[in-house]
Amino acid sequence: MKKTTVLLLCGVLGLCACRKDPETIVYKDAELSGEAVDVSGFDKGLKKIFVLNEGGMGSNNATLDFLRISDGNYVTSAFRKMNPSESAGLGDTGNDIAIHGDEVWIAVNNSGIVEVLSAKDETEIAAIAVPTPRCIAFDDRYAYVTSWAGAYATGSYDSGYYSVTDYKNPKGQVYRISLSTKKVEGSVEVGYQPEGIACFNGKLYVANSGGISSQLPPAYSYDNTVSIIDTESFKLAGTQEVEVNLKQVFSDGKGTIYVTNLGNFWDVHTALYAFPASDPSHVQRVGEGTIIKEEALHVSCAFLLEDTVYCIGTENEFDWSATHKYNVWSVHTEDVSTGKGKIELYPLELDGTPYGMAVVKGPGTLDTHYAIVGDAGDYFNPGSVSCYQLDFNENARIWSVTSGVCPGHFAVWQ
Amino acid sequence: MTGRHFIAIIFASVSCLANAQEADTLVAASVLSARERPVVRASEELFIPSQVAIPMQVADVLRHFTGVQLKDYGGVGGLKTVNVRSLGSEHVGIFLDGVQIDNAQNMQVDLGRFSTEGISSVSLFNAMSSNRLQSAREYASGAAVHLEASRPEHDALKFRLRGGSSGTFNPSVKWDKLHGKNLALRTEAEFLTSNGRYRYPCFDTTLVRENGDIGALRLEGRLYGNIAGGEWDLHACGYASERGYPGPVIRRAAGFPFSAERQEDMDAFIRGGWNRDWTTRYSTALKFKFSDSYMHYATHPEKNPMAIPCDLHYRQKSAYLSLAQSYTISQPWSVDFSTDLLENALDSDVGQFVTPRRTSIWAALACRMIYDKVRASASMVCLGAWDRLKTPQAGGWSGEDGFRNAWMPSASLYWTPADWLELDIYAKKTYRLPSFNDLYYSQMGNSSLQPESASQAGADIRLERQHGAWHTLARISPYYNRVTNKIVAIPTSSQFRWTMLNIGRADITGADLKLEEEYLREGLSLSLCLRYSLQRALDHSTEGSLTWGNQLPYIPLHSGSISFTASWERWALAWDTGLTGERWSRSANTADYRIAPWSSSDLSIRRSIPLPRAGLSVGLSCNNVFNRRYEIVQGYPMPGTNAMINLELNW
Repeated sequence: MKKTTVLLLCGVLGLCACRKDPETIVYKDAELSGEAVDVSGFDKGLKKIFVLNEGGMGSNNATLDFLRISDGNYVTSAFRKMNPSESAGLGDTGNDIAIHGDEVWIAVNNSGIVEVLSAKDETEIAAIAVPTPRCIAFDDRYAYVTSWAGAYATGSYDSGYYSVTDYKNPKGQVYRISLSTKKVEGSVEVGYQPEGIACFNGKLYVANSGGISSQLPPAYSYDNTVSIIDTESFKLAGTQEVEVNLKQVFSDGKGTIYVTNLGNFWDVHTALYAFPASDPSHVQRVGEGTIIKEEALHVSCAFLLEDTVYCIGTENEFDWSATHKYNVWSVHTEDVSTGKGKIELYPLELDGTPYGMAVVKGPGTLDTHYAIVGDAGDYFNPGSVSCYQLDFNENARIWSVTSGVCPGHFAVWQ
Repeated sequence: MTGRHFIAIIFASVSCLANAQEADTLVAASVLSARERPVVRASEELFIPSQVAIPMQVADVLRHFTGVQLKDYGGVGGLKTVNVRSLGSEHVGIFLDGVQIDNAQNMQVDLGRFSTEGISSVSLFNAMSSNRLQSAREYASGAAVHLEASRPEHDALKFRLRGGSSGTFNPSVKWDKLHGKNLALRTEAEFLTSNGRYRYPCFDTTLVRENGDIGALRLEGRLYGNIAGGEWDLHACGYASERGYPGPVIRRAAGFPFSAERQEDMDAFIRGGWNRDWTTRYSTALKFKFSDSYMHYATHPEKNPMAIPCDLHYRQKSAYLSLAQSYTISQPWSVDFSTDLLENALDSDVGQFVTPRRTSIWAALACRMIYDKVRASASMVCLGAWDRLKTPQAGGWSGEDGFRNAWMPSASLYWTPADWLELDIYAKKTYRLPSFNDLYYSQMGNSSLQPESASQAGADIRLERQHGAWHTLARISPYYNRVTNKIVAIPTSSQFRWTMLNIGRADITGADLKLEEEYLREGLSLSLCLRYSLQRALDHSTEGSLTWGNQLPYIPLHSGSISFTASWERWALAWDTGLTGERWSRSANTADYRIAPWSSSDLSIRRSIPLPRAGLSVGLSCNNVFNRRYEIVQGYPMPGTNAMINLELNW
């Protein structure tokens, strides 16, 4: 009862706030407020950190939160608040969030929608129908979206309305969406259940998981390949085997492609793999051949900041009964041709269920970093987003706020 | 005349005054066949033939029982499960003629599949239903719903035709034939079809529910017989259905359907029982059941590009044997010893499926003391369950970690200090085994799970008064339940690998209240029944978490119903309003997950028309009269106003 009252009060206050001089605000969402947190240590060049809460499949409760760096307000359910005419909300199961210029692109997996919003005020620019969209990457003309299902059925787009024309085969697709018209312009078939995607130097790198194929007859096996697509011709240019059940892909912008895998939950562990874009066959597990033991370099979730990939992992990941301690580490490649890089193991130790992360820099020349970690809790009820200092031997959490359900995906708008 | 007799007769009289005499004998017979008095009475009991509008499915009967939460996904073909006093539906045993309907795969029994056609009474027991000669499993369930068929008393032929909204068409035929004094045969056939279409509000528009159609056929044969000093029955049933699941209402891009999921089921079982009094002191009851259930579930990605491809087949088989023995030491003392054996097997073409087999043994020792005014019972059940698996890695059968056992004590006491007052109290602890899905579902199961326990204590105070033509009943039942070692699905270190753990705990404090007033005289009967349930079901799983101390999902703090029935000569009328208070779809009781209170009212009218050598009854029922829009399960809208015509012809 008390909680309800508090929420009601918040609502009333919010309404009152609406009525106060709207001329002074910069963006329409400036009137949105939430829990205020300490962001004094963050780089002032940042504007917002967006958090996509996946929600539960079938529950239609994907939500978009953001942390406004100017005043440190953590605003929840921003999509619903800024788009009241979209009565169904953001939709069912948010799967990826990416920023291009001043646009926020969100793959709403089980709604079959790629949602394009203004990063300034979260108002809808376009909602594009794509069957089971997974992850998003950009070049300067297109957004590329991986999709599990486009390949199960082929269909046609007629004024934005998708209709199934024929049943095909169980491979996934990458859809190409024009950044200017927001229309789907063709697709390319890739491997089974594609997940992460990254673009570098005219090529798209797509991680194929085979997450569903592993459960299906006749093969019952995961995919283990990265599909490489030439963006100019928009055709498959090659396939590279990496490890079973691939997940995220990052390009460091300097010629190295990173791929994470989920393992098979049995004998293949999670890890981060890297290969040079110039020679994809030269795949290496990050940390291979170093003195760092493999268990210290597992990957539950990862984030790319500039040329560095940050990961959170746990050593005993197949011990389902225990609660886990998570460690944080990072890598960046110093020599692209040999794949030689620098691995950093941070003193930060996490517990709970880290589900997604972002890393932001401190101000100016100070080489400090903050890890913003989404904790999914029981994956059913609202989770939390917490901020930790990454570089020093202090386990103290700087702040923690309540998010939506399964805060799993982060994007930084600067 | 005991209260039970009285109520039974009232019910019977309300129903068919035209042939009240006949109904009387029917009910009396069913009461007598209940073999001696139970120690405590059923919390709720309903005689199906006495209803003004006979509900199509057993789920509709349970809807308004106090303390029962029906989870209904909407539509004729939608899944319907019951949860009694927040124990969880896995703790509710559904017994058909004394044999539990089991589903080792997920422990859920879909009550939408049980037609009321073959069933004469539905009763709910919160305390132990401590009848003489009951099976060990009846002692071992947290709450029990008993579905009982009545034995044919005379030759009869009945046709029923039901039809109405959502293209529902439901014809059935029942034929009773007596062969001499010692053999009776009942054959039944029923067909159900519905297109499952109804309008519902989808965010800011109104849509029609699609892919919720069902076609189902049920064929049953029952044979009843007497042999010296005992009686036996044999029951064979076949059920086949094909249905669609309309899926949750979520935001979907235009052109993509919500769902194209289809499910086919083929179930068959043969069940039998034999009771015999060997001496005046020693009696036995033997029961058996063999069942075979096949299920095919497919998501049809070729029709729905949003579907996760899935085309799976499951087959469950079970064999059950129960022997109950009762020995009367000397009045009022008697002792019962029941032993049950159950074998379950599940096969599937799911990837890395371990084809589990389970052998379970229950042994129950119960002691009863029955005086006129005081009755008491105490029982102890021992459960042992052995699982065997064929793991894909090892190839052969293994029984690793496969043994689970539990001790389940219970006690109840009944006292009637005055004619108008009855009191009973009970306490019991029961366990439910982890289901095959909990244990062995690929990528999720946890084979080291322990059984989940439910401890219950409660009382029942019943006041009953007869004053001329007026009859008053008041019942109040406070209770406290605790569920521990609750099996909960939680994600592991890898977000994509979930597991099941015994970590949940819930504390439930509540009370059920029922007030009934009846007026009965020649040619006229009136009855008003008010029910109210208070349930404070708190999540006490993880201290300090966001959900600690919050109300469990889908459990309303307040719920109740108002029912009114009237019958006058050949006319009968019933009004029923169900009320459910606010609920939350998650144990985070926040505004985002609040489900608004709802109510739904049903109206039914029936007229009996006597024909030469036959009786015709014409009924009309209108459900959700005020076209209230509500959801019992979030994302699954319930139908608005819908109507059904019911024609019944009896020879």
